[in-house]
Amino acid sequence: MEHQQQSAQQRVAGRLHLSFDYDQRRQLTRLTTCEQQPPLQVIRAFPLATGGTLVHLHNLSGGVLGGDQLTIKVDVGPQTKVQLTSTSATRLYRCRPDTPPAQQTCTIRIQEGGLLEYLPDPLIPFAGSRYQQYTQFDLAQNAGLFWWETVAPGRIARGELFAYDLMHLGLTISALARPIAIERFKLEPQCRTLSSVARLGLYHSFSSFYICRVGLPATRWTQLEQELSELAQDLTHPGETTWGVSALVAHGLVIRAVSRQGRDIAPGLLALWRAAKRSLYAEDAILPRKIY
Amino acid sequence: MQGAIDFKYTTFLQMLQFADSALPIGSAAHSFGLETLVSEGLLSIEQLETFLRDYLVEAGALECQFCQRGHQLASQLSHSGQDLFITQWLALNERLSAYKTVRESRLASASLGRRFLQLVHGLDIHPLLPDIMQAAKSAGIATHFSIAFGLIGGLLAVDATMTGLAYLQQSLSGLVFACQRLMPLGQHQASKILWHLQPTLLAIIKRSEVAAPNDDISSFTPLVDIGSMRHSALTTRLFIS
Repeated sequence: MEHQQQSAQQRVAGRLHLSFDYDQRRQLTRLTTCEQQPPLQVIRAFPLATGGTLVHLHNLSGGVLGGDQLTIKVDVGPQTKVQLTSTSATRLYRCRPDTPPAQQTCTIRIQEGGLLEYLPDPLIPFAGSRYQQYTQFDLAQNAGLFWWETVAPGRIARGELFAYDLMHLGLTISALARPIAIERFKLEPQCRTLSSVARLGLYHSFSSFYICRVGLPATRWTQLEQELSELAQDLTHPGETTWGVSALVAHGLVIRAVSRQGRDIAPGLLALWRAAKRSLYAEDAILPRKIY
Repeated sequence: MQGAIDFKYTTFLQMLQFADSALPIGSAAHSFGLETLVSEGLLSIEQLETFLRDYLVEAGALECQFCQRGHQLASQLSHSGQDLFITQWLALNERLSAYKTVRESRLASASLGRRFLQLVHGLDIHPLLPDIMQAAKSAGIATHFSIAFGLIGGLLAVDATMTGLAYLQQSLSGLVFACQRLMPLGQHQASKILWHLQPTLLAIIKRSEVAAPNDDISSFTPLVDIGSMRHSALTTRLFIS
């Protein structure tokens, strides 16, 4: 009982609220609101050559601990260009048996003509970790989104492979208040093997990359699906890494990858991001400034 | 009493017909990504039963939940009014389209749903069917097979569990028959797989009934999804999806 009370006291409720607007006179995006509660923190915003801004999301704990409740809210204003990234891979630490799963809720609104590139490093679930994440994007007319998420099987160097207890990932992307992509992944490797061919088969890491721009016609997306599928085919090495591309029901597409080693995923995402950004925005994709 | 027995057996026969793989809606034309997995050597006969069990636990459970929501929609028709019913029908289909992020499989589900509704419309099951088909067409919203199947089960007053099981059984049969065309899977072996997986269907329906009120739907099939995404690039194809 005493132990449980101690655990409850150690739990943190990190919070981050960011808003961005567009400075018409200077023609650049500004970070206008930054409310933060540790362990989540933003130090500063970096201007980008395109007039956008880059923000690194820090977790001062060095990772996510059992019982943590993290809330991130981002408001991407009209005509703004925002890049968000993490500072390194998100480590999901082992959960004590008496603590609830760690939770992260991320709610992001992208207003008319805004563009968000949310490019975090992979999630690494340690042995015994339990983690729930829910991410919601709401896109207005002509809003754009590039967002990827990669999940590693654990600390591979320590021989950990699917040794976590729970990974519950939820995603909803809505455009003009209508759902265009929903994911609910509840992974419990100790109960349901991930190496089943119905799930990951011989692969260990997986990634999803969503690309949206609201208002483009369906034909544009099937055309882009075709273009990116050719690139995905070049990136595919059966048995090592496999890629696929598909148009969503409207306003976007999804790219999925599964990989045995995981290290091939990041360069593949970068190549596909570059191609899609060029095609949709006629701009170069600029990799977020940080140590890789 | 006799009337109740007649009704029970009539609904049983109706569900048998709808769950039959020979139902002329085109289900034999779809493999939902399995063709790619077999073609790329990822799925063998030895793995098939386990694969189908796990696939049903993931994707089958998702479809089953939407089937049951379709069924629930029918049961609410009498007190929700036609306009609200159609709004909910469209929203439910739109939501499943969002879950189905892979275009080829989404279109397959929509194609089967549309053909199924056209078929049952010809059977004079319910006067509202032309309206719901027209509403979906006007709104540009796909009508998915699982939801349509549940809806029809509900309109026929078939028990929700029986409707869900019939849906799962026809899904499983369709996948097994697809595999018979893709790999050297004999009829006896196929029958054994169907027989062995009956407890899985029952487990899914039980889990679905618990999860439904909480919207707790989970489906994790990345390899099959990628198989479906890569299907159009296969040089030789037997199936549309």
